[in-house]
Amino acid sequence: MKFGVNTEIALTYLFSRKKQTIIAACGVMFGVSMFIFMQSLMKGTNDYFEKQSFATTAHIKVYNENKLADKHILENYYKDGSVKMITNPKMLLQNDGLLNPFGIIKNIKKNPNVTNITPQVSAMVIYNSGSVTLNGTMAGVDIIEEDKMFDMQTNMVEGDFKDLVKVNNGILIGKGIADKLGLHMGDNITVRSGKGASQVMHIVGIFATTIKQIDESKSYSNISQAQNILGKDRSYVTEIKINVKDYNTAPEIAHDIETITGYKAESWVQANEQIKAAFKIRAIILNSVIGVILLVAGFGIYNILNMTIYEKIKEIAILKAQGFTGPAVVSIFLQQAIYIGVLGAIVGLTFGYGITLMVSKIYIGAGTLKYLPMSFYVPHYVESVCFAVLTTVAAGYFPARKASKVDPVTIIRG
Amino acid sequence: MQKETALSAQNIVKYFHDPVDMKVLNGINLDVLKGEFVSIVGKSGCGKSTLLYVLSTMDTDYEGELIINGARATGKSLNDLARLRNESIGFVFQFHYLLPDFTCLKNVMIPALKLGKWSYKEVEERAYEKLKMFGVHEQALKKANKLSGGQQQRVAIARSLINDPAIVMGDEPTGNLDSKNTGIVFDLFQQLSKEYNQTIITVTHDEDFARRSDRIVEMADGSVIN
Repeated sequence: MKFGVNTEIALTYLFSRKKQTIIAACGVMFGVSMFIFMQSLMKGTNDYFEKQSFATTAHIKVYNENKLADKHILENYYKDGSVKMITNPKMLLQNDGLLNPFGIIKNIKKNPNVTNITPQVSAMVIYNSGSVTLNGTMAGVDIIEEDKMFDMQTNMVEGDFKDLVKVNNGILIGKGIADKLGLHMGDNITVRSGKGASQVMHIVGIFATTIKQIDESKSYSNISQAQNILGKDRSYVTEIKINVKDYNTAPEIAHDIETITGYKAESWVQANEQIKAAFKIRAIILNSVIGVILLVAGFGIYNILNMTIYEKIKEIAILKAQGFTGPAVVSIFLQQAIYIGVLGAIVGLTFGYGITLMVSKIYIGAGTLKYLPMSFYVPHYVESVCFAVLTTVAAGYFPARKASKVDPVTIIRG
Repeated sequence: MQKETALSAQNIVKYFHDPVDMKVLNGINLDVLKGEFVSIVGKSGCGKSTLLYVLSTMDTDYEGELIINGARATGKSLNDLARLRNESIGFVFQFHYLLPDFTCLKNVMIPALKLGKWSYKEVEERAYEKLKMFGVHEQALKKANKLSGGQQQRVAIARSLINDPAIVMGDEPTGNLDSKNTGIVFDLFQQLSKEYNQTIITVTHDEDFARRSDRIVEMADGSVIN
């Protein structure tokens, strides 16, 4: 027993009122475990959706964007320094491919942050089987590079995506297309574009993502096939997809690429603003729920300490009569709050971990999502303890201060 | 032998404000010497307990001046006064006022642990000795609320003595004791004042108790009359 006398008194009070101590600690425990559970769920879900969005979106996409007519031609023509104005300017159609795409790729590859880079030919196409047609987009890709960036393998339902390399007129179609057109592995499918000729292609694989819209419209072919369908030459590339080491740096790198190439370089952040907004909204909802839980736990402690003080008011008066100073009394009651907080936090940590672990075993089974995504992220646990201790200190301080102001004379004289 | 003054109250005036303004102490002058055993007597409501609380430094809402051990107590901060009480004033209340969640031994030890002058072990030994002086050492490890009223009062007196205070104050310290225990307490107070030169100030209704002390201060209507 090597405690200070304040600590000893605080502990004795806690132990002599076990029930109340446990109830107060339970409040903190629920606060902490809910905090951990909610944060884990939120981070898990966010991580999942982020990963999911990278399953179809590259970190950076370079493409040619149609531009609004500007006055630079006018200025080249009339070099008189007059002010030129264009009323009602229209969008100008750019040659929708990239000029010298392989030069650009070579150039971008010099950037040490770039991990993967691959050209793509996107084509609006019409799938046709028998008398049924279906609109969609076909991506002419280097499938091996595509797999490195987007992990094609996990989405494959049937067949092997690598067969696309072996079969020149091969195609990978979404499961939705296969269902709607009644197609199976090894069947042929007719693909037409607005401009080019129609092509009969051989289905070498069927994939399914979690997004129905993609499954019902998207297909992958070799680049040359996409170029054929569009009636373009072998240097025609509509976009370049780039992955970088840290996707959080994508916006800055995209900006660099934009300045170097002069083409539009869109980072995933711009492309997925709705996902970012959803993250933010979820964060606000969950944080307010957590805030309320901790607030309630705080009120629990406040109440219990307040009651303790009413009950012990005579004892506080005695302690003060015996020479306990105001700060000593604050220390006695604040310590009780802190011990309740720490006890609740420790139990809450294990409880929170338990809930998270249990929930992470709940089977969802939608698309590639097998189990509820939960993250086990250490900072959440640290944060929850900090919040719990802060709340309990705040909740304990006011009753403690009240106790320290007890006037021994009025209490003892009655 | 010229004795030093342990406590000096000069022109103490105190009002009660609730429910109406009322003067309870009407310019009290009181000097108590070191080692003196003083009893304050008087009818109910004459202000003797009020005076004792002023002298104990717990009540700071008064006019006049209070000097304890040569140092001015009036005007000191509440925390300084708390430290002063801890070190040099032992207080026995009319009702025992032990902390019920603690053992008797702990109750006695707490003021000494607060003072921090002795090690835990020493405090424990001292507390046990004090309990033995009052014959309640066998109850040392019982919870305070398991004892009889008389035993509790004796524990409370033991507690007031744990820090060897210069001044021991009692508000009817024997009010709840039978004559045998009153005798024990009285003998002990006398021993403290004679042998250890500790000052004892008690408020009492017990005339017998008062008559046997060194000096009787009689009060009436907020003034010292004798």
